[in-house]
Amino acid sequence: MVNLFEIVFDDNSTYSGGTLETTGWKDIPKKKIRSIFYLLPSKDYLCLCNYDKYYHMIEATQDIYGSAAIAVRLEYAYIMGKKNNRVTVYKIDLTNSNILKLDFAEDDEFISRLNNSFWK
Amino acid sequence: MTNLTFLTNYVDADVTYLINPADYIAVDLTNDYLIWTAGDAVVKDLMTHEPTSGELNAAASLIDAVNPVTVAKCLLMDYSHDVGGSYYTHLVKGMSENKRYVYCFSFDAATATEPQLEAWDTSAHATAVKNVLGLGTALNSFVKGVCTTVTLPGVGWAGASLAGASNVLLLNAGNGAILGGGALYANLKIVIPAAYATPAAETFVLTCRYTYV
Repeated sequence: MVNLFEIVFDDNSTYSGGTLETTGWKDIPKKKIRSIFYLLPSKDYLCLCNYDKYYHMIEATQDIYGSAAIAVRLEYAYIMGKKNNRVTVYKIDLTNSNILKLDFAEDDEFISRLNNSFWK
Repeated sequence: MTNLTFLTNYVDADVTYLINPADYIAVDLTNDYLIWTAGDAVVKDLMTHEPTSGELNAAASLIDAVNPVTVAKCLLMDYSHDVGGSYYTHLVKGMSENKRYVYCFSFDAATATEPQLEAWDTSAHATAVKNVLGLGTALNSFVKGVCTTVTLPGVGWAGASLAGASNVLLLNAGNGAILGGGALYANLKIVIPAAYATPAAETFVLTCRYTYV
């Protein structure tokens, strides 16, 4: 299995993520992260480093009504880095591998409404 | 991964899933489905067979020349007869009424953002241009939803028109992510405009969008 992400901490220790379904993000040790290597659908890696905090989430849809309803579909992955009150967001389309790079102020509604407990 | 279970209330729409889960049926998304119908002597609560297309057409809602028509009934077609023995259909209690605990979205763990309900033409979640979704004008969508997680929707609630990515229904009343799992609620209805010019039997897709870490 190829891990979804690899983390290098400031103390040179490492942590490996899991899969899109079971990412392992919650279990990341509480240590200062130096860099994250994030596996893209293309099998390339996106490297985030030198941020103060990092965030990751998967966006899923579950059809609850309709013909040919798809039970659960993973549509997007987000990997983010926060520094100096700005947040860089990489929105990865899991259906076509497109990547959108976005920049938000920390108090932007999209950022401020995230579940804060998952910043690392 | 955070998992979602979609349930409908078939007993008492004043009772939460937490207090009495037996009032709810978990929708098997592979085999079960919702039926929006005017209902008649055949298409009704507690059917003992799966309704045919002909029976559904005969029980369809009729367009009114003067007044909007709210589709009278929503039935859960329960293929596996989860409750009550051999019955295929169960009336969704409180649909379109001033009731809180009608459609339940139960999450088994925290989410990263606030879950939301969306309406699309198909499971591709790409377009919302069918008649029932307003022909591309989201505010004209027949599909109305109201979040009832925090409060009653009110008598004669109008609800939000659901269509596409911009006209969605936040399921936690705008309070953000679910911190430790739990149940969110909504009420839904389908309102056909008066004298609508295009009678049709249309399908659409309701989807719940949520995030996890």
